Amino acid sequence: MSSLNALLRKEWRENVRNFKLYWIPIVFVIFGILEPITNHFLPEIMKSVGNLPEGTDFVWPKFRGEDIFVSLMGQYQIIGILVIILAFMGSISGERKTGTATLLYVRPMSFSQYFLSKWIVVNVIVLASVWLGFLAAWYYIRILFNPVAAGEVFAFLGTYSLWLIFAVTVVLSLSAWMPTGGTAGLSILILLVFQVLDGIIGTYWTISPWKLSTYALNAFGASVDQSDFWMSVGLTIIFIVLLVFFGMYMAKRNAAKTLV
Amino acid sequence: MSEIANIPWSLILPVLVLQLILMVVALVDVIRHQRTNGPFILWIFIILLLGLIGPILYFIFGRKQA
Amino acid sequence: MTQLLQVHELSKSYGSHKAVNSITFELGEGTSTALIGPNGAGKTTTLSMLAGLVAPTNGSILFRGKPKPDIRASIGYLPQYPKFFPWLTALEFTEMAAVLSGVEKRRALSEAKKTLEFVGLGDSMKKRAGTFSGGMKQRLGLAQAIVHEPELLLLDEPVSALDPVGRRQVMNLLKELQQKTTILYSTHILNDAEEMTDQLLFLRKGVLVENGSLDSIREKYANPRVLIEFESVIEAERFTAISPWAVRVEKKQVSIDAVEEKVGTSEVLALLHTESLHIRKVELQTASLEDIFMKVAVEE
Repeated sequence: MSSLNALLRKEWRENVRNFKLYWIPIVFVIFGILEPITNHFLPEIMKSVGNLPEGTDFVWPKFRGEDIFVSLMGQYQIIGILVIILAFMGSISGERKTGTATLLYVRPMSFSQYFLSKWIVVNVIVLASVWLGFLAAWYYIRILFNPVAAGEVFAFLGTYSLWLIFAVTVVLSLSAWMPTGGTAGLSILILLVFQVLDGIIGTYWTISPWKLSTYALNAFGASVDQSDFWMSVGLTIIFIVLLVFFGMYMAKRNAAKTLV
Repeated sequence: MSEIANIPWSLILPVLVLQLILMVVALVDVIRHQRTNGPFILWIFIILLLGLIGPILYFIFGRKQA
Repeated sequence: MTQLLQVHELSKSYGSHKAVNSITFELGEGTSTALIGPNGAGKTTTLSMLAGLVAPTNGSILFRGKPKPDIRASIGYLPQYPKFFPWLTALEFTEMAAVLSGVEKRRALSEAKKTLEFVGLGDSMKKRAGTFSGGMKQRLGLAQAIVHEPELLLLDEPVSALDPVGRRQVMNLLKELQQKTTILYSTHILNDAEEMTDQLLFLRKGVLVENGSLDSIREKYANPRVLIEFESVIEAERFTAISPWAVRVEKKQVSIDAVEEKVGTSEVLALLHTESLHIRKVELQTASLEDIFMKVAVEE
């Protein structure tokens, strides 16, 4: 247990000192604030700088606060996921490549704890960042649109967090398996391209981790087949557990690839 | 342009402050280390001129660990 | 002498390339052993296998007579170019290394401090490893290898990357450690090997070609010769003409194989005296470790 502690401390110090603990939350919060502001003021901005021809009366859709959550999540699904991939793709492969892992791997350290220490710290940073982003948005939505019930917001965040944990687990387990470049490519494929595919041809199935974000939005009122939702939650949890074990196994199997 | 003036800047101020923090942290880090992937002068311009994206690009691609 | 480590027919292949080819040796407890060989001889691969970093293709490693699947708790390992997390301070890193190697958490910090003082990083322990010079990194590397007081210390070229001053300082540290623990270290610099070793292992292309104590190897390869240097070439030729022993001439120098001709310096001096030949020097030459190295590790 004390070695897991030591590894957790190392991960924490790394993310404090390379500023990831600061810049990632700031980026998510900035997006969280900008989304309600731009949506609220867009008609006015367009009117003043848009050079619309005289007489055109453009009808802007009337947004509800809940809609802003939807569009902010859309941003996070692309830009946010991309930031997560790029920030953490080298978590394990990078340590092998630079050889900093060598002096860890020659110790009687458990590779499970090694993987777990990274998994815990990265999840904490990512979840805290996204939560802060949505909470900031929630505050601005209340000022600029309408108050959204806390129950709905937290139900949404709970479900969306599970998708984020899935995303983090994909990136870290791939990093345990492959070099950083491969991790980036395959992560983008799994987390971004599959998302689009699931949106296009995913009407044929209803149970998948890629549908979690859509199901999460149902917290804001839409009715949904609850059994599909819970099946997707269960399947995602199973994927996460399997990927964690895969990552632990790969970290160990690739230990000899560290630069000596 | 009168509508622009109507925008409550107090709402936008937190965003500007956060962007400034991001930029300053990135700049201080670049100048203190002077070790980046690619010429570090270039990174200073990227951080200063590309707004929100600049510091993010620096932290992801420009920052050298060792 | 009890055996700490017994290595039996240890091999490592990468594809068809045999990096280490069936080597067998033992390390006595408390001894220092030098692993010698040219670059690419398999020194690093051998040490990596013992360190548990690389899985052997074949062979066994016994620790205190027993096969242990994981001897990592009992060893300290210093790679040739130790790489540190640049954002951790020397103290933070050494403390973490101690905990990960099984030192109790409450003792780890004080052990780390003690060890860093010992390797001479007492003043820099709060500095980040990223700011360290090559010599300081080597000391930190040594600190992380010994902080948990391992029974066996594996050092890969511990001083070859250092300047003469740094090399001297690290050598002195190693000599101190030699009193307390069993050491296996690789080097291609023979002066280092000569300085602290009970046993020499010569590797060539993955094969263990010679194995023994410094003295026994010296004796085996000593090849003593009596060397006479004359004032002039003419005198050298005169001596060659009258010498009762087979000689080898090279300008003013004449040498005689002392073992084959059963001759020592005194007989040669006596002859020189009666013939009143003018000489610059007479000496009994034995092969230096350098010569032995060239012979054992390099020659086909």
